[in-house]
Amino acid sequence: MSSFDIEFAAVTDIGKIREKNEDNVLISSDLGLGVVADGMGGHSAGEIASNIAVSVLAETVRKVNNQQLKIPDNFLPRLDPVERKLLMAANLANAAIYSTAQSSDIYRMMGTTLTGILFDKDCATAVHVGDSRLYLFRDNKIVQITTDHSLAMEHVRRGLLTRAEADRSKIQNVLTRAMGIKKNIEFDLLKFPVKVGDILLLCSDGLYKGLTENEMANLLKEGNQTPIVKLCKHLVRVSNENDGQDNISAVLIKILPAKKITFKQRLKRFFSRS
Amino acid sequence: MTENPSLVGKEISGCEILNKVAEGGMGAVYKARHKALNRIVCVKILSPALANDKKAVELFLTEARAIAELDHPNIVNVYNVGKEKGYYFIVMSFIEGQTLSVLLKKNKVLPIGLVLDLFEGVLLGLDAAHAKGIIHRDIKPSNILINPQGQAKLVDFGIAKKVNKEKGSTKTTELAGTAYFIAPEQALGKDLDTRADLYSVGASLYYVLTGQFPYNGKNTIDIIQKHINEPVPNPAKLRSDMPGWLSLAVQKLMSKNPDDRFQTAKETLQYFKKMRAEDQLRVKMGNSGRAIDLGEEGPLRIVKEEKVTTESIKKQRAEQAATRKPTTSSSSLPLIPQGETDLSSTLPPKNSKQPEKGARMLEAENVKPVDVFVPSKKPTPIRFLSEDKEAAPMRTLTRFIFFLPLFMVFAAAGSYLFYTLGKICSVHVSEHAGLVTNLVMPFFAAEYAPNQTGVSLLALGALLLIFASAKLRAFSRSTTLLLILALVSYMAGLFTPEIPFMNLSNVGQFIFTPEYYLCYLVLAVAWAIGLCWTMNRTLVQGILAAALVILGMVLAYLSAHLTIPPDSQSLLVKILFYASIFCAVLCSYYLISKNERERLLFPCLLLLVGIGGLWAYSVSGLAGNINKTLHSLTSLIVVQDSDTAKANEKAEKMVGLDSRRQVFASLDKTNELTHLSNEEAYAFLEQKINQEAPNIFDDQTRPLFIYFLLHYYRGGNSKMQLAVWDYALSFPIKNFNRNAQKNNAYFFLILMLYAFGTISCAGTIFFSEEL
Repeated sequence: MSSFDIEFAAVTDIGKIREKNEDNVLISSDLGLGVVADGMGGHSAGEIASNIAVSVLAETVRKVNNQQLKIPDNFLPRLDPVERKLLMAANLANAAIYSTAQSSDIYRMMGTTLTGILFDKDCATAVHVGDSRLYLFRDNKIVQITTDHSLAMEHVRRGLLTRAEADRSKIQNVLTRAMGIKKNIEFDLLKFPVKVGDILLLCSDGLYKGLTENEMANLLKEGNQTPIVKLCKHLVRVSNENDGQDNISAVLIKILPAKKITFKQRLKRFFSRS
Repeated sequence: MTENPSLVGKEISGCEILNKVAEGGMGAVYKARHKALNRIVCVKILSPALANDKKAVELFLTEARAIAELDHPNIVNVYNVGKEKGYYFIVMSFIEGQTLSVLLKKNKVLPIGLVLDLFEGVLLGLDAAHAKGIIHRDIKPSNILINPQGQAKLVDFGIAKKVNKEKGSTKTTELAGTAYFIAPEQALGKDLDTRADLYSVGASLYYVLTGQFPYNGKNTIDIIQKHINEPVPNPAKLRSDMPGWLSLAVQKLMSKNPDDRFQTAKETLQYFKKMRAEDQLRVKMGNSGRAIDLGEEGPLRIVKEEKVTTESIKKQRAEQAATRKPTTSSSSLPLIPQGETDLSSTLPPKNSKQPEKGARMLEAENVKPVDVFVPSKKPTPIRFLSEDKEAAPMRTLTRFIFFLPLFMVFAAAGSYLFYTLGKICSVHVSEHAGLVTNLVMPFFAAEYAPNQTGVSLLALGALLLIFASAKLRAFSRSTTLLLILALVSYMAGLFTPEIPFMNLSNVGQFIFTPEYYLCYLVLAVAWAIGLCWTMNRTLVQGILAAALVILGMVLAYLSAHLTIPPDSQSLLVKILFYASIFCAVLCSYYLISKNERERLLFPCLLLLVGIGGLWAYSVSGLAGNINKTLHSLTSLIVVQDSDTAKANEKAEKMVGLDSRRQVFASLDKTNELTHLSNEEAYAFLEQKINQEAPNIFDDQTRPLFIYFLLHYYRGGNSKMQLAVWDYALSFPIKNFNRNAQKNNAYFFLILMLYAFGTISCAGTIFFSEEL
């Protein structure tokens, strides 16, 4: 499908002080999908919410790919198919969490952030809600692609707080948008072209609380030659050493030049597709 | 909710739970009866979802204990706190009354004196709490209860909210405090002190006095940010009977900077009391100048103070604005490192626009999609009349003048041409052959009349013209009629060659006789097919078409009706009958209810199959009788295979010709009759029949059966069947032809079709806007 080879790696860590890990990550090279979800809500609800989020998202994308599920024609017809697929999957995931949350007292108020990325040809489409982040590392520079849906960031956007103030603020954890809180929520949808050599980092807030953007960039630069699974583990470990107050999750995606396909593989692919 | 329904009726800390009063994010509140004291109390239970969070529990308990210590008339009393049966609970006094927000909703406008009385109570309660270092954090009208004695009592004393706040790093979507009444420093997540409660008191006062929230917005974030950013509104603008000092006091309480507010609840309370006393004094003193001076002295002083504070707000805002600009530009849009691609130019706008777009679309999700296909409006005469332009009727008139005569000439010429062709071909008509054979065979006849080729070519050209005319919108609806007209003209020439063209002398006598059934059938079917073709049928047209279909079926049955009853023994014939009825019903249903652009042919096909089926059913008796006779005849008559055939077979075997050739050879029956000429074969068969079955046939029927037998012995059973069915199916038409010799039915039909086509064409010109 893709004109690149894409390598995926995912690591999640409970952190130093938390009793449970409410984060969930998922990578699938078949689907070209990477997801990070950071759950919230008391008891075990957070874990459940983030688990539903990633699994429903992946399952929906798979079903749409296999044509077991059809996207309704009137579902945002102006978007391109990949965007519609991803957005529908996210909407279904939200509905699933919401209905679970409504079903029981224990699960009430549970919710989760979600940042997912889906590759198709030479484009990446990201869906995002909450304060998990998607970073793009290109030409030794790191850039945050997504905007956090937190009250603090909302204030930063209006100029009521500076970025530095926001990072220390007590309302940093107050989200303005999250999955499972409402029946219909608004997702950010971002589409951008990727190129060979790009590294994409999806992470929960635990990771960026322990690492500044400069530190991340340096780690990624230094680890240019190391396998990305190792690199991913290293990022999480460093963040945990620095902070570790929260669960830490990271998905690292590296865009590599496409390998040449042998005739045999092509045949195999042809038959498996038909 | 579903988690602990069993709590009702249970006993917690000596209290019997009666019923649920309220449900909040952090727990539920129940009405209960304290058994020992026999007193109605209120029990608040921490949500089981939070019961595992040690920090949350700890704070829940300490905070509750602190309030229990307060024991103030303006704060709801706490009797007991603890954990029992796995539930963390607080037992509080039950207040039989209503909240301030409910009171406001009921009364719309509250007297200022009453509001101030209530808020003095609130301030007293707050003062006591603040003295213990407890910040309420969520002062709002719905957290102020009023008991039947008119006393204000503060409830929901920061318990849940403090839990929330102290959890620190736990994610939540709820901000401590309520958006409409939140203090700016609270909204910004800064450190709080007791003055945040005073802001909320100010905002609540504003709401209770004016009935409107100080700030409104399209969402919570918007409102919160207005608390941080927007100038303090003046409540006096919304309520004229508000004393100036009160308006200024509210504004002072709602200052953005805590330093600009009253510093304590006590200070606020004292100020309120003092100003009210002055007001009362003024009322007592009447309108004496002294009183007025006294009355104005206070406000003037406050105005001075206020001036200072509003100025400071402005200053502060200016400072904020100065610092804001750089942050906005740096934080809102991410910049992507530049590569060779122009990524950064395409990405940022997408990044910022996409969510909005998504939002709009999500809202539009439930809206039914608009049909893309808009059926072209059916123009009506009324439309023409209502048009102011004179040009439209003129245009129609010119079209009439041009197209209608063209059509009439074309149709007349065409029908004459086909009549002539039929007349020429009539030489080849075989008396015994069926309709299909007679219509087709003349073209393949060996001996041509001298001018046949030319006329045939002309007729072919005319046929092409008819098809081409379908493209012309004025003629489009008449194409079917033109085709039928051509066919009928041809048949008129073919079967009634003695009558001159358009001789209508006898027509009048026969119009209402059964002899014309076939004419009416053709007309009805032609009309129905025309309607089947019509795009965007109206309901009336649909019903008309369906009626014509049913009429067509009846006429088909009547016109094909024979004295020999249908062969109802045969299963095949039965199926044929029911299938044709089904087709007709389906066709009628389809014509009335459906109007699909892509399937115009479907109802036509159904109609033709239906009528054809019924026709075949009617004549099935005749065909069955003929078949029976022929069956017995073929078993009687012995025709030997010829010797030459046997010789050929031998030769082939010896030479070893391939099997395919043998198969072909065996298909073509070779026998005694193969090499005889038509006349010789006829004579041969006549002789045989006379030998075997001398008395079965009279002179009229014998040649017919010999004709069938000839087919049998030359072509086999299937060829004979074909001839028999062709004969049987066209038998009614043969009758019709015979009658047509004297009643000129063909020309009547031609005339009707011609008139009908002309009307149809005229209608198309009149009703179609664009031709």
